[in-house]
Amino acid sequence: MKLEDYLQVLPKSLWVFTLNSGSCNGCDIEIVASLTPRYDIERLGLKLTGTPRHADVLLVTGPVTRFMEPKLRLIYAQIPDPKVVIAVGNCATSGDVFFKSYNLVGPVDRIVPVDVYVHGCAIRPEALIEGVAKAVTLLEAKRAALLDRRAAGEGA
Amino acid sequence: MFGSIFSGAGFWDAGAWILAFLSAGGAALFIRRMGRSDYKKGTDQDEIYYSGNVVPDAEIFTVPASSAYWGFREALKSYYSHLTALHCGIATEYVGWFVFTAALILTFVLV
Repeated sequence: MKLEDYLQVLPKSLWVFTLNSGSCNGCDIEIVASLTPRYDIERLGLKLTGTPRHADVLLVTGPVTRFMEPKLRLIYAQIPDPKVVIAVGNCATSGDVFFKSYNLVGPVDRIVPVDVYVHGCAIRPEALIEGVAKAVTLLEAKRAALLDRRAAGEGA
Repeated sequence: MFGSIFSGAGFWDAGAWILAFLSAGGAALFIRRMGRSDYKKGTDQDEIYYSGNVVPDAEIFTVPASSAYWGFREALKSYYSHLTALHCGIATEYVGWFVFTAALILTFVLV
């Protein structure tokens, strides 16, 4: 199906791919907590996917170790446009206390462009929900811009 | 269009089966068409997702089906060694054994 039809006929809500780029797992636990009945982020349509090929959003936790850098680049490249990247947690957004470490190449925005920053160590599920709400707005704007470019004949 | 074949267990209608296959094929094509076609060909978007790694050669990560029976074959090695020794792989020899055994059985049954 063409992208124009896809976005107009079957506009789906956010499908998210999470990537731990060297996190202590604290933020990942909070991401899982946001899916539990107390916060239930799936009621907003957010769905975790097992492959970047189906994702609209890349959720990155951790300060990006050297080992994870090529994986982060590859996974980012494999997500189809339009896409949004959310850096989750202090490590992903700034490197936090590890930012001078010899084996880090992050934070995330040194490797891939980041659209939304969610701070916290670890993040609160409420903060993640706010970040996702911002991502929805950004993604809709990106989708509209992409469709406009296509309509103008500039290609994707 | 097609006649039904009736048996003691029910009936079999070729037309109904063809209609069912056509319906299923149509549904499959419709679902396939729903897939996105805007992947950038020749880039990483076209590659297999392998946890962010470059996909290695198939020999490295493929477990052949024969491996599933490794323990079974290992435990029954003495049995299989005799059994495989009996099997030469020559079809004419197998047919010969078949004819010989059939003749032997028929001798017992008919004579």
